[in-house]
Formats: sequence, C-alpha cells, structure tokens
Amino acid sequence: WKEDLTQKAAEAFLRQQQSAPSLRKLIYGTVAEDEEDEGKAGGELGGLFRVSRPDKESKRKADALDCSKFPVEAPKDWDLDEVMDSIRDCFVTGNWEADKDA
Amino acid sequence: MASHSHSLNYVGCNFLRQRLVLSTLSGRPVKIRKIRAKDDNPGLRDFEANFIRLIDKITNGSRIEINQTGTTLYYQPGLLCGGSLEHDCSPSRSIGYYLESLLCLAPFMKQSLRIVLRGVTNDQVDPSVDVLKATALPLLKIFGIDGEELELKITRRGMPPKGGGEVVFVCPVKKAVKPVQFTDPGKIKRIRGVAYSVRVSPQIANRIVDSARSILNKFLPDIYIYTDHMKGTSSGKSPGFGLSLVAETTNGAFLSAELVSNPQGEGVAVLPEDLGTDCAKLLLEEIYRGGCVDSTNQSLVLLLMTLGQQDVSKVLLGTLSPYRIEFLRHLRSYFQVMFKIEMKPSDEERKGGEKVLMTCVGTGFSNLSKTIK
Repeated sequence: WKEDLTQKAAEAFLRQQQSAPSLRKLIYGTVAEDEEDEGKAGGELGGLFRVSRPDKESKRKADALDCSKFPVEAPKDWDLDEVMDSIRDCFVTGNWEADKDA
Repeated sequence: MASHSHSLNYVGCNFLRQRLVLSTLSGRPVKIRKIRAKDDNPGLRDFEANFIRLIDKITNGSRIEINQTGTTLYYQPGLLCGGSLEHDCSPSRSIGYYLESLLCLAPFMKQSLRIVLRGVTNDQVDPSVDVLKATALPLLKIFGIDGEELELKITRRGMPPKGGGEVVFVCPVKKAVKPVQFTDPGKIKRIRGVAYSVRVSPQIANRIVDSARSILNKFLPDIYIYTDHMKGTSSGKSPGFGLSLVAETTNGAFLSAELVSNPQGEGVAVLPEDLGTDCAKLLLEEIYRGGCVDSTNQSLVLLLMTLGQQDVSKVLLGTLSPYRIEFLRHLRSYFQVMFKIEMKPSDEERKGGEKVLMTCVGTGFSNLSKTIK
C-alpha cells in the first residue's frame, strides 16, 4: 500500500481543493474568465453599433467612499438567548476545550 | 527602487489610499484616471488632496501630477524619509483616515516618524484614533515593530464638523518585519473602553457606560470603561460624545467596535443610553465575526504579512470585507503575492461565524532607506 502514497496524497489534495467553495477563485479570479466577461460587455450589435451598457455596479464601486470600516449589514438581535449563545464560548467564562486549561 | 517599471493603471477614486500606500512601498508608479468623472463635482475632493499632500510630506522626491479638473492622478513614489512633522488634516474626514495609511508606512521610513496630526479625532465614517490606538499598535508589536517610542497620544479631542483635535503619533523604524503565526485568538478575558464627551455634560459619559455594561456583563465580569471628559482648549470646536470598546483575548488579539453621536446640526439627537447599548451590540457582532485581528485592521495585517521575511505567515481572520478583498487584489498587482485562503467553518456551535485562514510567504521586503547607526 505504500507504493503510490504521493499520488494518493495529490489526489486527496485535489479532491479537497475542488470540493471547498474556492474563496481564492472568488478573490483573484482567473484571467481567462475576466477576458470573457469583457468580450461580452463590449459586444457589437449587427456589427455596426456598440452596445453601451455601463456596468452600474462597477461604476459605483469605482467612485465609492474610500473607507476601511466593515459595517454590519444584518444586525442580529442580541437580546435573544439563542443569539447570545452563539458566541458564548468566545469568552473565558464559556466552555473550554478539553486540551486547554484556564 | 524600480522606478523605470511601467505604472499601474486604475479607474475611480475608491481605494485611493491603499493604491498610493502600496505604490510607495513597492516603488511602482500608479496612474488613476476618471476620478469622479461623471460626477457634478468632478475630480479629487479636499480630503484626498490633503492626503496626497501628506504623502508628499513624508516622502522625498515623489512626483505627483494632477490634471486641471483633478480627474487624473499620476504618482511616482519617492523615498520615505519620515522625521518630525506636523499636518493639518481636512475636517471632512477624521484623523483615522490618514492614520491608517501612516500605520502602514511608518515602520519603513528613513528616520523614525513623529507626526502631529490636527483635525477630527472621532467621526462616524472612519475608525477613530481611540480604536486604532487600542488595536493597531498591539498588532504592530506582534510583527516586531515595537520599542518605547511606539506611541499614539490624543492631546485634544475634536468632533465633526469643525474638528480641532490633536494627535501625536510616534513610530520606530525597522529594517524587516517578522513573519507571524497567529491562528488561535484564544478567549476574551476582558473588555475595555473609552466613553468620551466634549462640550456636553460630563454626565453623558456615565450614562453611556452604564448602558453598555448592562449588555456586556451578561458575558463577562471584567469590564472597565473609562470616562474621558475633555475641557477647555482640549475639547475641540464642536460638541459630541461617543464610545469605543475593545475586547482583549488571552492570546493578545483585539476586537473593537465604536459609535459616535450625530454631528451638531445633522440628524436626530442620539440618546446616550441607546448609543451605549448599540455599541455593545456592535462589539458582539465583531466577536461573532471573530478572528485574531478585528475587521478594521485586516489590511494592515495582510500588508505586514506580505512584507515579512521570506517565511510563511499564517493569520486567522473573521469574515473578509469587500474592502479587504480589493486590498488582496492590489497586493497581488503590486507585490505579486497571492494568499492561500482556507475557510474554517465553525465546528463548535458557540464560537461565532466562519473564519478564514490566510497564509502567505513574505516577499522579504527590507527597509533600504533606514540609516544604520
């Protein structure tokens, strides 16, 4: 069973890479995809007119306010016990993992 | 520095600060076009022009070209020289806007930076000086940027719209940044905060403290919120009050939240009690997001990881904000560094939301302009 360990490891790694929703792809994108998008946006109509459809979202983003704060979009109701319980173990007063000591 | 390399091109005024900061550190010129080109009032705003002046002040030999309408900016970075400086910030943005960029640049100066910044210390848009003092300075220390000089002091508090605050920022220079492995934030052991009031009744700060405590005491007994009432000339030119809270964990991570009253003559009056409870809830939201670094300082930590020595750095972060995602893209175009990004789903139920593990190899950036004594 020892023979193709490296290959097995490589396969396992690839499987893992594919299954996880790739945040990396989301952030960095791939060059091929970008080009494809651009091709679509600047499409020509009947070979004569260019469809001018400014991308509202990207326009707004380009000239948006330069601010580093990360506002909370959907505030939770922190008066509810269930919501409060969701972060209970972030505090020293919460439960500790078995391998760690207070 | 590679000044002959071709410049990077961008469109729009968003992310102006990170583009200029990264350009200064990497030595790559940058050209930004169409700054508010479709706007009724096109071109750079006064606070952006003010920021560019600040960059010009801390560098030597930068070339800045702005066209007549202010819609195109070309910036060729010079060397960071630092030294003892003063700067009057534009009151339309708070000092935090300028300080965030200075925190990124200050460790890489020729001489250690000592700068006096004047303007608005706390506003509703940018991270306040209090929060940066409590969260960004410990972060710099983790990366080996410390020493007795590292200091951020509020000598005067200034609220919008008129400002009148004053801050002193001192930062030592370092030749290189240590790589870090910071993947376990630990547990929150205490919460500290500052409730401040200027040109209003000092009792307001006490009312804020009481209401904030009533929420946070359900989680933790160790809570202390200082009240800071500045009088006379140190209280700036406009009235206002606010609260900033910082949660400290056993492993030295800091998570923060803050709220400020509406500026004089704008919006409805805010009750101090409501401000206190809302701010406490914002802190709980921040704890839910979690990670080893709070959401305001994510770019600083990502930058320092990129600039570290050629070794692996790992940091666990909470949810990535859109601003940070853009910062990651910028890091790739300026430094050719790509991060390995792993989702860490919350396996235990009571430890907040999903976390993201960021891993990268530093570029081995070293501060060439630092003088050797």
